[in-house]
Amino acid sequence: MNFKKLLVAVDASENSARAVAYVGEMVGNTRGFHVTLLYVERFPERDTFPNEDSWRAACQKEEKTIRDFLEDSRRQLVNSGIAPEHVTVEYASASSLGARRSEGYSVARHVLQFHQEGGFGTVVVGRRGVSKAEEFLFGSVTTKIVHSAKDCTIWVVQ
Amino acid sequence: MDKVIWEKVQRILPSLSLRDQGQVYVDTSEFMNISYGDVIALNGRHFVVIRDEAERRFGMEDPKFWVKRCRDLETEELYILKLVFHEHFDQHIGSMTIRCFRSPEKESRILELVKNDVRFMQGVTLNDTANNPVRILEMIRGRSLDSVIEDIDVDHASYFQEYFPGILKKYIGACEAVLFLHDHGERHGDIRRDHIWIEHSTGRYRWIDFDYAYESTENPFGLDLFGLGNILLFITGQGVHTTHDLAALSQGLDDNLTPEDFSLLFPNRLVNLRKRFPYIPISLNRVLLRFSAGTDVFYESVEELLDDLKPCLKELGAA
Repeated sequence: MNFKKLLVAVDASENSARAVAYVGEMVGNTRGFHVTLLYVERFPERDTFPNEDSWRAACQKEEKTIRDFLEDSRRQLVNSGIAPEHVTVEYASASSLGARRSEGYSVARHVLQFHQEGGFGTVVVGRRGVSKAEEFLFGSVTTKIVHSAKDCTIWVVQ
Repeated sequence: MDKVIWEKVQRILPSLSLRDQGQVYVDTSEFMNISYGDVIALNGRHFVVIRDEAERRFGMEDPKFWVKRCRDLETEELYILKLVFHEHFDQHIGSMTIRCFRSPEKESRILELVKNDVRFMQGVTLNDTANNPVRILEMIRGRSLDSVIEDIDVDHASYFQEYFPGILKKYIGACEAVLFLHDHGERHGDIRRDHIWIEHSTGRYRWIDFDYAYESTENPFGLDLFGLGNILLFITGQGVHTTHDLAALSQGLDDNLTPEDFSLLFPNRLVNLRKRFPYIPISLNRVLLRFSAGTDVFYESVEELLDDLKPCLKELGAA
């Protein structure tokens, strides 16, 4: 594993923004690092919309927000001193990942799969800190990654 | 109203006079306007409305105007008709608030999935002329699990010995039914002790009401598991044991209890029931503790819950 090959899992939240900023600070002016920003798409739940049209509109809006965030983050990393050719952006669409309605689709699992296949030595995630009750009811992508990742260093940016 | 239909309505509702004759609705969008004596016509079938259904919770009657108790004019069978109501609201669980949606499409999909599976309520979906999916639900003649348990008038020790093993066995069957939903990419969405109905004629446990939907999360089955944990706590304790109830006991029990003994989501609800009823086996109590504030490990699937629960049944001698 190449520890200078960083995989930053993001979702356009403030936690993700902090993780990106931290990566910029840490490796910005150091040679040899390659940073991949990864977003694993999770569609809004279809059942929470009254019809197909309103759901599709929400999906499109969400996608635009994420793509804007990814582009801003890429620019921020380049501005921090990382060569543009060493910053990669990956938008993993739900359809490409075979996601279905509510079958236990796990963002964490897809991040870890990406990490394994890409040979990333470092995984970076943001974390807002969830209560025990929230973790029980909703789960936590960060906690799952921390518990399940192997052969890598994990940076958890709080 | 057509003369033939009116005659059938009169046969079912003889007290209804010609002056009070209702309307025939082929579009159910304005469900508030549909009331006693009106007829809902769907795909060649006709249902006369008897009344709006109501839900009784915490001693309050909550009318559900989109849920109509009806009789089929042809067969005279009773049905529950659920009309389309795209409601969204906040559900409060302990200190947490969860955005919840009422999805007729989800319920229709699950009804199709569980067709002929007696562990679930049965019904079909017929679209009205405005394309609203109206769910025609068969009545379950029985009572809710909580009301049955509340009526068992014996002390806990007797309950636990005589009734609980049989109840646990059926509860495990109900958990397996939820696992079936999960295995097919669905969630029940509103698992509560009054959403299991015990059928009078068979004693079967049957799940009702599948229309709640939530936003996706990393633990998609967390809410269902939370509901199953609450029911397990209820059937094991023969009710809920709160700090208030415990304070009334003069056994010095309070000194022995810590915040970790209580529910992860409801800090006043005792989960470590073995401290209250020492004859509850450790293995069963351990399952309960997975839903307590003191736990560090959560169930992520019903399968994990069942793996721990089935040996408890053997231990109680009811396998």
